[in-house]
Amino acid sequence: MSARVRLVVLQVAAPALAIGFAALVASGIILAIGKNPIDVYVTMVRFSFTRIDSVAAILFKTTPLIFAGLAVALSFRANVWNIGVEGQYYVGAFAASLVAFGLRGLPAAAHLPLAVFAAVVAGALWAFVPIALKLRRGAHEVITTIMMNYIASAVVLYLLADVYRDPTQVGTPRVRTPLFADEARVPLLGPLLNRLGLAIPEHSALNGFLVLGLVLCVVIAVWLSRTRFGYEVRATALNPDAAEAAGISLDRVRFVMFMTSGGLAGMVGLSDILGFFGYFDIDFPKGLGFLGISVALLARNNPLGIVPAALLLGFLDRGAQGVQVFSGVPREVITIMQALIILAIVVAYELLTRYVRAQRKREAERAVAGPAMRETAGGS
Amino acid sequence: MDLLVSLLSVALLASAVRLTVPILLTALGAVYTERGGVFNIGLEGTMIMGTFFGAAVTHVVSRALQTPGAEAAAESAIAPLAGMLAAMGAGVLFSLIHAVMSVTFQVNQLISGVALNLLATGLARFLNILFFGVATQSPGIRGFTPWSIPGLREIPALAPVATGISPVIPVALLLVVTGQWVLLRTVFGLRLRSVGEHPRAADTLGINVSRYRYAGVLISGALAGLAGGYLSIEQGRGYLEGMTQGRGFIALAAMIFGNWWPVGALGASALFGYFDALSLRVVHTAIPYQFITVLPHIATILVLAGVVRRAVPPAADGIPYSKEEG
Repeated sequence: MSARVRLVVLQVAAPALAIGFAALVASGIILAIGKNPIDVYVTMVRFSFTRIDSVAAILFKTTPLIFAGLAVALSFRANVWNIGVEGQYYVGAFAASLVAFGLRGLPAAAHLPLAVFAAVVAGALWAFVPIALKLRRGAHEVITTIMMNYIASAVVLYLLADVYRDPTQVGTPRVRTPLFADEARVPLLGPLLNRLGLAIPEHSALNGFLVLGLVLCVVIAVWLSRTRFGYEVRATALNPDAAEAAGISLDRVRFVMFMTSGGLAGMVGLSDILGFFGYFDIDFPKGLGFLGISVALLARNNPLGIVPAALLLGFLDRGAQGVQVFSGVPREVITIMQALIILAIVVAYELLTRYVRAQRKREAERAVAGPAMRETAGGS
Repeated sequence: MDLLVSLLSVALLASAVRLTVPILLTALGAVYTERGGVFNIGLEGTMIMGTFFGAAVTHVVSRALQTPGAEAAAESAIAPLAGMLAAMGAGVLFSLIHAVMSVTFQVNQLISGVALNLLATGLARFLNILFFGVATQSPGIRGFTPWSIPGLREIPALAPVATGISPVIPVALLLVVTGQWVLLRTVFGLRLRSVGEHPRAADTLGINVSRYRYAGVLISGALAGLAGGYLSIEQGRGYLEGMTQGRGFIALAAMIFGNWWPVGALGASALFGYFDALSLRVVHTAIPYQFITVLPHIATILVLAGVVRRAVPPAADGIPYSKEEG
């Protein structure tokens, strides 16, 4: 039993150690530019947690990371590597924008779901190209998804600047779509939480997509652990050959997981555009797809682990702003730290896996050796 | 007919040659690392490190050499040379992280590479702020004095290809030939390939698998760093954020298209270099420029989808090797 307790402790300690290691290296960098790392971290925490609107801002930053993390985790679970979440969410967000400003006069109950649906379809469509090329033609999905990212940003830029640019903005430096219809905007959580006694300020953009993200985490966790398909996914991941021999179609599992990943990726940008901006512009937040990879790794591709992992990165992202403004430390330090966390975490989990394997081996040896030793003792 | 002429114009071909070089150098690096059995998608980030350190060191050295009486010609060769060496050194150090992660710790090589790319973007911005006060670009620098081919340069029609040749171009071509020879004919090359095809067999024969895999990854780092240095010193005349534009990934595709051989990588890189040149030259067409700029990326997907079935990767490519387990 004590071995099992130790395992649980180690499972918690591994990510903590990885984060600690990343913070240590980041401290070295902060020291090198002549600042005090302790001050910087204190600023980060104080900036983030002393005011309720700051907490709301962290949750707002966490929202897209939940979707991005889930999207990446689903593909990684099936051993297909969707590095294209970045591009999938650009096209998803743009498709939702088309619906949001293009249609008028729909009731909110139809307009918002339609926008979300458009985003999911567009994201899945962008994922379809690489997965179809992989399964049919053997093209490496890592490279094709990365290429699709470049193509996505070119296509979106073209549609934004040359086709759907708000005509009233021509002549100004602003490049954005017309404003969305109010019916397509997502309800904010502020008023609801205020009624519960939390003083969320008016300007907070915390919105319904946070709730949707949390619900999706739970739904997907159940889907993967309690259904026949979820079982097939696990079998495929553990031993593809054995799974195939047992009659599981590897291609089907990979296709479904990859397309679901793309659909989820399509929703990454929605919290920002439907909850905050109300239009799609050229400064649309970028890089969330790559952060999703960090989130998924931190969570070990576990849908329920996505939430704390996304919270951590949301906190880092928010903290980066505070650090830049109040401590004069470039926010890139935090980007470096995020990369270091990934590196440290995969090493930590790898060492943990090895430890567990060695432990099991030792237990098995003991189980075999135990009775054998007693036998020899009895015989002599 | 006009279109055809412009597609084959000498100026376009000259530009294609120049743009082939960074893809080719990185693809060559990718051949070494994958022949040794390590998948290295971090080559894009390694290139980024090369672009930054190449430009920064060239800038610093040329500043240091700027003494009144010094000869201009000598100075102009020393600074970019120092920059190229720094770019290669940065590439080696950066890929060392990948080697430690994927060979020593045996983690998922794809993930390590993705993390390196993220690290490179953050690091380049951070260092640039530190050195030059802004995040996205370095001051302008001067590269090598370009070469020209005597005899050919006098012919006006051929002038674009016969003049303005960076010394790195012949070096890159030499590296293709050397690479082919190393992998086919030398003890090092054969052992490197054995480690990528069947590490256990190699191990049984007494070959140190880790050491050869480290060598493959570090060589790839040096070459990708050099490619980055070429981009910022010779082509961009300064570092600019995002100047690699995914060429590290395209180089991986070139390596696959080239069937994991240096000579094949040369052919594939030339193809991608041509599309790259095309994307910079075609301006006045009915096709929106945004689509022209992604021509190399579209070509990459088409190539991977069209020919990859015939390509055979090293059998143990991307699979970590551990002595203890089978």
